[in-house]
Order: sequence, then structure tokens, then C-alpha cells
Amino acid sequence: MWRKDSAESSDRFEYLQTLVTEFQDTDSEEAKEQVLANLANFAYDPKNMDYLKELQVTDLFLDMLTEENENFVEFGMGGLCNLSMDPECRDIILQSSGISLVTNLLSSRREETVLSAITILMNLTKPSSRSEITDPAILQCMLRFSLSESPRLRNLAAVFLQDYCTEEQVAQAEQQMKGQQTAVGIPLPEDSS
Amino acid sequence: MAAPVSNSSGCWGVPEVYKHHEQRKVCISRPKYREGRNAKAVKVYTINLESRYLMVQGVPAIGVMTELIQLCALYGAVEEYRPLDEYPAEEFTEVYLVKFQKLTSARAAKRRMDEKSFYGGVLHVCYVPEYETVEDTRLKLQDRRRYILRAVHNKAKEKEQKETAEKEPTMSSDTATTSERIVMRHDKASDDDNTGEASNVSKHPSFPPLPLPPWEYNYYGHKTQHGTVSTEDKMGTLHNAIIVTKQQPAPSSSSSQTSSDGHKGAKHRLTSKPSAVRFVPRSTNLENRKRKMDEAAGHSLTDATRNDEPLIGPKLPEPPKLDMEDESLNTTVSLIRNTMKQVESVPDLKPVEKKVKPRRRI
Repeated sequence: MWRKDSAESSDRFEYLQTLVTEFQDTDSEEAKEQVLANLANFAYDPKNMDYLKELQVTDLFLDMLTEENENFVEFGMGGLCNLSMDPECRDIILQSSGISLVTNLLSSRREETVLSAITILMNLTKPSSRSEITDPAILQCMLRFSLSESPRLRNLAAVFLQDYCTEEQVAQAEQQMKGQQTAVGIPLPEDSS
Repeated sequence: MAAPVSNSSGCWGVPEVYKHHEQRKVCISRPKYREGRNAKAVKVYTINLESRYLMVQGVPAIGVMTELIQLCALYGAVEEYRPLDEYPAEEFTEVYLVKFQKLTSARAAKRRMDEKSFYGGVLHVCYVPEYETVEDTRLKLQDRRRYILRAVHNKAKEKEQKETAEKEPTMSSDTATTSERIVMRHDKASDDDNTGEASNVSKHPSFPPLPLPPWEYNYYGHKTQHGTVSTEDKMGTLHNAIIVTKQQPAPSSSSSQTSSDGHKGAKHRLTSKPSAVRFVPRSTNLENRKRKMDEAAGHSLTDATRNDEPLIGPKLPEPPKLDMEDESLNTTVSLIRNTMKQVESVPDLKPVEKKVKPRRRI
């Protein structure tokens, strides 16, 4: 993109601002998807994070999580996945009930969304949020994911269980799962559309 | 999709064709201001999608595996590679799995090799994170986290330094100040190494951003300050590079390099924000010095008091001195004036004849 190549700091900010403005003003779903994907990709580079924070893009992504359009959700989650490693963004997400919003999406049909959800939960983990994130329901979900056919899902779930939970918590969740007679809880994702 | 679309005849272990391997249709409806150089599909890249493992499809089945791996190796060390015979491939093509030592290498290889022609075929390169082990995934996430935290850390330091720099008096040619700043920077850098949380960060630069060609930083410049900085400090541009200055090095060096394909297909560009230490290529330094010497030579014509400045390198030959009072300088002007007088003195309007004058060919 020619503008990005020769951008100074302020140009980059202006460009991002233009994207956000287009997203807010346009009626076209297609344009919204494109811009959202753009912003989510920009969020991958930490050099852009200050601008994105200033433009409150974290909130924009969070707003997408309750949208009907599954692309909006997927791209929003991707953006949050990229941003959530930054401590400030992490805190913004936590303050906006991010954990419950993200946890809900563990049951999404879209694999990318689910993968983003697991990663975001990992990124959101800090002492104050750990107990909420290692809730038994979430652990049970991760246990089911660790048996999935999808290697990516298996791997992420394994890292979550090994690095973010204690052995006791995992054992407890396993016990609870065995005790349940019906398949209650969060289903595995189906094929993406 | 957790259950990929295919028959799971388990004993054969055919690798699944995942959705994220497929090329999506390119987006054609982007408005101009956000249209890239290369048409791209609408896709979001997260750390989960990227991987050190790449799959290369469309390699012509003419025994060019070595050449392919050599091409990959241009972007970084290749740890492992093998043909993926089990993967569905188009007729007369092969599919390879290539594992890079670093994610950044894989990223660069994917960007540069995807959709490129190779021995008559067109390569399709994509990440294949499903080949990762749990440990691979874990390390990938850790590297990414370290990289982000380090970037955040550095930015915070820059802000601090910028604030302290702004508090100091205006830029002077005082080298003591210059060395002070450099020392300050080194101190802060060593502070980084000492703090517990940052200790891992500084020792494991395994997830650096894709380094841009250094000239990218040249575009950052505040033109107003350029004159004062360059003439006052003749100690060489290296010092200027370290100071967070508003400097605009010779545009000629950057324009010649702009033509290289360093920007093709880049999704993100690192902005040219001021950084504590910027790498300015030697050629830029040399050209800067030359330019400064030109300016110095230019100044010396009018300002004789600048002779005490230390001049680096050979002196440029002085331009021939002109005697501005010499009548010969006015020859052309006099000729024209005379001709005009003659023309004005003729009352009649004559049709303009086109005289064919012999033209002097230079």
C-alpha cells in the first residue's frame, strides 16, 4: 500500500483513523469485513498498538463479538488475539467483561474463532483473572478440545491445560466430566463455513 | 473446523486438507485508498495461523527439490524438509513441507514465494501450523509474547528518553552533550538487561520484526530542522543517527533503493518512528558527508569564517571564481537589447519570415 510505505508516524495514525471511520460510516457489510480484517492485521504489529489504542479499536473488536455475522466475529476475535498480548489492551478487555464474551465463543462453529478464544484467554491470564479463566466449565471444554481431531485445537488446549492450570484443577475437571451423563457443555466446533 | 472435510480412513493417515491451506478468492472491491499493490484476499493473520512450518504446493515434478530448498534458505535457516507425498497435489506437481528455524523466516518466505513462478510452475505457499508439536506451539506463543513485551518496553523507554531530550536545550554541536546522550542510552539498555522480567527478553531476540531496509527510516524527517543540525555537527552522521534527531538524509540513496521489491505484498509496514539507535547504511553516511561538504564548499564562498570546522576527507576542487564585473558576462543581454531596439524602431509590420539558421549541434 503506497501510503503505508512512505508513512510517517502521523500518516500511519491518519490512515488507521480513516479505516475506523470507514468502518463506522459504511453500510456495506463487505466493506466492513475488509476494514475489520485490515485493522485486525494491523494489530499484529506492536508498532501500531499505540494508535489502535488511541482509536479505541479494542472496543471496536469487542463489539464484534456479539454480532450475527460470523466473519465479523472471527475477524474481531483475530484482532483481539493480536492485541491481547499487550498489557494495556489486556486490561481494557478484562474491564469490558472480556472473559465471558470470549468464553462464549469457545462454542463457535468457526475453528479460527475458537483458536483465537483459547489464545485470548491465555493472554488475559494474570493473578486477578486466573480463577475466572480456570473455571471448571472452561477446563472441561479444554479437555474436550485436547481430544479433538484438529491438531491446532489439540495443541492449544494442551498448552492451556499444562501452562495455565494446576494439575489438581485439571484432575478435578476430568472427574466432573466423567460424572456427567449427558454431553453438557461446550460442543466441538463444526466445519467452518 | 475440528472435523475436517474428508473421509477419515484412519489407517492411511492422509493429511487433511484444511480450509486455511486453501487460497481464498482475491478481494476486488476495495476502495482505492486501501488498495494494496497486490490484490489480496480478506484474511486475518494471528499467531495461531502462522507457523515455522510451511507447505509449498505446485512445485513442478521435475526433480527440483534442492533448488526449492535453496530458495527457501534465502529467507532463513531451514531445519527440516520433506516431500508430502500423501497430500493431494495437482498433476505433475509436488508438495513439500519446509520447517524453518524461525517464524520470521517462514513469514518472509511465505510472503516472497507465494504465487511466484518456479521452474514453470506457480508456487502456493501457506503456513501449516497443524504440523507443530505441542512444544512448537508453546514456544511460538512464548516468543510472540516476549517480542510484544519487549516492544512495549522499548516504546516506554523511548518516550522517557524523548521527554528528557526535549527538556534539554536545543540541539548544539556540543559533543559532550552528544556523548552524554549516548551514555544515557547505553545505561538504559544495561538497565534492561538487569531487570528480571526483561532479562529473558533481551537475550532471546528470536522474534524480531522483519527488518525493513534501513532506508525506510529516511522518510521520517522534519524538514525545518534539517539545516541547523547538519551544518553544526561535522563529527559525522553516525552520531546523528544515534541521536533522536529530525534528520533527512540524502533522498538519492533512498530513491535508488525504493525500486527494490522490499515492499511487495507487505501487509504491515514498520513506521519510521524515532528509535534510540537507528541503523543508517554506510552509503547514506557517505552521501551525507559528501552533501555536507558540498554545502560547506558552497558556504565557504560567502562565509570565510567557517574555515576552522574540521573537514573530513579530501577537499572538493573549488569552482572557478567569477568576476561579476566583467563585461563579457553581459554579451548576450546586450545583443538581445540591441535587437529589441532595432525591432521597435521599424514602423511597418512585416510578415514574419522564418529564417533558417544553421543550428549549432552541441
